[in-house]
Parts: sequence; structure tokens; C-alpha cells
Amino acid sequence: MSADEAATTIVGGLKQAGINLVVTLPDINLAQLLRAVEDDPDILHVPLCREEEGIGICAGAYLVGKKCAAIMQNGGFFNSNNAIVSTLLQYQIPLLLFIYYAGDIGDRTFSTSGSMTEPVLQALGVRYYVMRETSDAPELIKRAQILAEDAKRPVALLLTKEVLGRRAALKSL
Amino acid sequence: MKRFDCLKLIAAEAKDALVVSSAGAMTLEWNVLRPSDGNFRVRTLGLCSSIALGMALGLPQRKIIALDGDGSLLMNLCSLPTIARMQPGNLLHIVFDNEVYEASGSKKTATACGTDLVGVARAAGIKKAMWANTIDGFAQAVSSAMTADDLCFVGAKVTAERTDVPPYPIDEVENKYRFIRYVEKTEQIAIIKTNLPASYA
Repeated sequence: MSADEAATTIVGGLKQAGINLVVTLPDINLAQLLRAVEDDPDILHVPLCREEEGIGICAGAYLVGKKCAAIMQNGGFFNSNNAIVSTLLQYQIPLLLFIYYAGDIGDRTFSTSGSMTEPVLQALGVRYYVMRETSDAPELIKRAQILAEDAKRPVALLLTKEVLGRRAALKSL
Repeated sequence: MKRFDCLKLIAAEAKDALVVSSAGAMTLEWNVLRPSDGNFRVRTLGLCSSIALGMALGLPQRKIIALDGDGSLLMNLCSLPTIARMQPGNLLHIVFDNEVYEASGSKKTATACGTDLVGVARAAGIKKAMWANTIDGFAQAVSSAMTADDLCFVGAKVTAERTDVPPYPIDEVENKYRFIRYVEKTEQIAIIKTNLPASYA
């Protein structure tokens, strides 16, 4: 599956789950997904400068009735930890975190970030699911949103290269 | 200027605005001057401006006021270009600059050494960003921002002192529920829905 098709499938899943505000920070592997988010008229897209501010934006939007998701690399998840702890967990605010799994098995870069991603999520008590099949994405997103709302906690979906599809050549981006 | 005097002026203008206030004594002072379930106290230093932006984007018909501090904003300066990019016309961002980390032992912040937060806000792309240098100027700035439909940033240099007020009466989770229920009631929307048990289906 191409990255464009995967992006369309994932954004379709977000909308089925009721998500209507998405904060993002780019990673090259997220390029098509972010473009699909930006192009969707039903989603309010907020491009960030640093991921931690996005946790605050989503918390504020949740408090007034929005359903939010944050899309970032695992490096950005590490950047966001104080806000996740002292805002999301402290106030019991749900949020879907889509974390690109840099340093995943088979990746040639960021192996240290990859090795820390799941342990940090476990330490925070944030439940997470590793997404490998694009066709499973919509159902997983729907269930993750139900869990986040029911538990009133963040839930993470780890975006692997497989689930994001085959990326187009850089020059075409 | 005294922060408490400035907060009194905001309280007189705030009406039913939702107010997000940064960690520290300011929140306690504000809560005494305008006790309301429409107040949200921030506990993550720096996140005040971002939480207020999220509210402003989520509820564009409602005025949102962020009561920020210099230490807080310095920790999350990147919220300013993001706010400028989104241009929420219903957001009033007020920064009380006392040049110290008041709640953390009163060590100097960077604004004590020349950083100009209004200059930073303007350079980030917030056109209506101004210092209020007198209490009358502050009153005027807040009053005009409350009736305007564009993004506004007001800085006020205040003395590093706190007014003796009672502690914040509720914890974070109660603050969240009260705030959400207040928004639900005043906006006539449902935010937290509960489902019937499966046996009812």
C-alpha cells in the first residue's frame, strides 16, 4: 500500500472515531499522513513548533468539547512528558497519541529512541498498541478512542513504517 | 503596578469569559476576585498559553483569557508563533511580568535581564501586542481587547509581591469536572457523555 493510501485510511479512522482537532509536528515518515490531515475539511489542524505545547492545546480543546489527537515522532513524545504527566494524567484528560516509532525493528536510525519508547510509555502507565497493518488502523483507532474516553487517560498508537505505507520518493513531496 | 489591582480590573470586564491561569499565586488571587467554575488553573509551568489556545480554537464564539506569567511564558515561547499562526480572534493573552520565578524562590527570569516579551510576541506575528505601563493604560487595553474580535496580547510589568488570599479550594480533577460542566451548561453542549450499561442495549 502506498503512503497516500495508508494516510487516507488512517485519517478515515480518525474521523470515524470522532476526532476533529489534530496537532502535529512533521517527521519525514509522517509526511503523507500530515498532508491528509491538513487537507481534510472536517479536521482542525494545528501545526506545532514543539510537541509539548500540543498536549496543552489538546487539553484545552478537550475541556470545551473537542475530540483531539496528537501526531508526532517518538522524540516529540519524549519532549512532551512533563505535560503528559502534570496535565493529562493529573487532570485525567483523554488524548490519542500517534507516535511514529523511530528506531523500530529494521530501522537504521534512532535505535536509542526506539529502545526507550515502550519503556517510557509503560513507566507512565499509558496503554499503547503497535500498529503494523494499515487495514487494522481504523478499528484500532476507534477502540483506542473508546479506551481513552472511558479511562480518561492518554492512549498511544505507535505508527510503524509498515502501517504508514510505502513512501513516495522525496522529490515528489 | 500591583498584579492584584490589574486582576481586579480584569474581573470587572471578564463577564462569562473562560479564564486559564498559570501555576502560582496569581491563580489564587484571581479565584478570590472572580470565583467561577469557568476558571481553569494550570499546573504545568508554561502550558497556560497553549491550553488557552486549545480552548479558543475549540470554542471560537467564546472569549478566552489567558493569565500568564513571565517565567511560564519563557518556558513555552514557542506557543507564541503557534498562536500567531492560528490567529484566534477570541483570545486575550495577558502576561504579568514580575521578572522573577515568584513561586520558586524569586530568582530572576530572563525578563529581568532585557528580554521583552511583548517584543517577542510581536516578532512572532501577534500584531496587537502591547505593554500597559500604567493602571489606566492596562484598564483601557483590557477593555478594548474584550470587545475586539482579534487576537490580543497585553504585557504588564508588576511588582513581585503577592496578596494574602486563601488557598485554591479544589484539586485538579474537580477543577476539570466543574469547568467542563460549566461549559456544557453555558454553551448547551454535552462534553462528557455516559453510556447505558450493555444489558440495556
